Amino acid sequence: MSIGAGGPAPGSFGTTGRGPLLLGGGSRRATAISTASTLVVLGALVTVFLLAPGSAQVRHTFFNPTDMWQAFVGDPKKGYYSVGEAIWLNIRMFLAAEVLILIVALAIALVRLSTSAVAFPFRVLSMIYVDFFRGVPLLLVILAIGFGVPALRLPFVSVQSAAVYGVAALVLSYSAYVSEVYRAGLNSVHQSQVAAARSLGLSQPTALRYVILPQAVRNVIPPLLNDFISLQKDTALVGVLGAIEANEAAQIYSSTVFNYSSYAVAAALFLILTIPLARFTDRVIERDRRRRLAGSGL
Amino acid sequence: MRRIMPAVAAVAISAGIVACGSSSPSSSGGGSGTAASCSNAAIQKDLYKKGQLTVATDKPAYPPWFENNNPSNGKGFESAVAYAVAKQLGFKTSQVQWAYEPFDASYAPGPKKFDFDINEISYTAQRATAVSFSASYYDVSQALVAVKSSPIAMKHTPAELKTYVYGDQVGTTSLAFITSQIQPTAQPKVFQTLNDVKSALQTHQIAAFVTDTPTAQYITSSEIPGTEMVAQFPSTGEHYGLLFSLGNPLVTCVNKAIATLKSNGTLAALQKQYLQIYLSVPTIKP
Repeated sequence: MSIGAGGPAPGSFGTTGRGPLLLGGGSRRATAISTASTLVVLGALVTVFLLAPGSAQVRHTFFNPTDMWQAFVGDPKKGYYSVGEAIWLNIRMFLAAEVLILIVALAIALVRLSTSAVAFPFRVLSMIYVDFFRGVPLLLVILAIGFGVPALRLPFVSVQSAAVYGVAALVLSYSAYVSEVYRAGLNSVHQSQVAAARSLGLSQPTALRYVILPQAVRNVIPPLLNDFISLQKDTALVGVLGAIEANEAAQIYSSTVFNYSSYAVAAALFLILTIPLARFTDRVIERDRRRRLAGSGL
Repeated sequence: MRRIMPAVAAVAISAGIVACGSSSPSSSGGGSGTAASCSNAAIQKDLYKKGQLTVATDKPAYPPWFENNNPSNGKGFESAVAYAVAKQLGFKTSQVQWAYEPFDASYAPGPKKFDFDINEISYTAQRATAVSFSASYYDVSQALVAVKSSPIAMKHTPAELKTYVYGDQVGTTSLAFITSQIQPTAQPKVFQTLNDVKSALQTHQIAAFVTDTPTAQYITSSEIPGTEMVAQFPSTGEHYGLLFSLGNPLVTCVNKAIATLKSNGTLAALQKQYLQIYLSVPTIKP
């Protein structure tokens, strides 16, 4: 039987030779069935939502178009800020944090995998660092940095904006996770690669730079992107420090006028941010899968 | 002179209260039949739990509205008001049960887990479309709190007030006062709790914050050393009301209880006992 002609092979888990499939097999009958099934499921959910006794009140409180628009554009004279404008702070915090995390996490991973005797104390330190920041909830790190550092009253360090402390906390916490992703990537490169590079006369650092790292990073791009999707949302936690990011702006609106529709606006904006990155991740994973299976006969 | 002033003020205030009290019989006069329906037995059907009055507030419960973060001790203005209202409705002290309700959750749609919420919640027309409010049990003015002899404590003309960095608790009318009345050039910092606002002031992240006068008075006199209440702002007609689920029939009887507490001087006495009246505070324009 030729795979890929009429849908998934029996017993396979939604995969064909062309990779995982989101939409059925491709035959007309399969498409019709999946469409009908989708409509039935969606219809049932919407019916339950609309027929619930408190439906009108919930729709008014969470999805009222007037309130959503008011929250999106904001009006400081009425006591609330624009959620649409506040999302820019999330985007800026995310971009700054992402660059720093990539650098810091790589440094930690390299220290942890170093073999020299001199670096022993640093290896121990990096291990403690990763254990600590993976174990402590991000919100607590944000609060500790955001309220603790200004209280030290140091010049320069203690007079930064809440967003800066938020980014610092995100970098501290996420670098611990991402360094483990890097470490897995570095370990996934076979030892023979190092041996081959060394036998060609490359020094240890040169071999790392030109042979090991490129392969390691390529292997972990999907999990890295996955962490960054998560990072985009976690910028919302920085709101506890008083920075008016999207979630905070939504909360201000809701408690000023007693309507939660602003949260729906913030949620929609976060989705607009994260979905493109999620689809991009899918594409990278698929491309990587094809590249690795090339010539394997499938 | 100094002694006479509070006395004059007290007379003026009680006259105002009498005026308020005298206006309410006209509203209840039409429904003399409903007066009987406010007996303890008659309101049982409207209660969250039969046989008890369930009153909600946030945690922590701040002085001077509550004392020792313990609403059930009857101390602090709002705790005392809640027990006074309960007494008017025919409840014993032991029949008042306190529930914890975060401010953010108090206006969620659907049934509530309490009869009313007492948490320094200001009435606004927009908020009243989501929940029901009782009549005012306290008329509020906003006041400015800053570190002693900091720039804002010295210079606070309306134009100068716009140049400072403020902070406040999320969604409060005090925050709305900053953004709508003071209109500072820098965006204020918005914190989850009043405690976060206070620590931001102490760590110099903000120049000042705005809160109601009794809270400002309490914070500066006994909570954070080295701070002062710079001034209070003219009243915007703001008042605190008890929060009910939208259309809760209990509001009518609670309003009647509040009217009685106003006319018999209980509210004024409690304000004097817990909130005090500070005539020495200068009033400035935002």
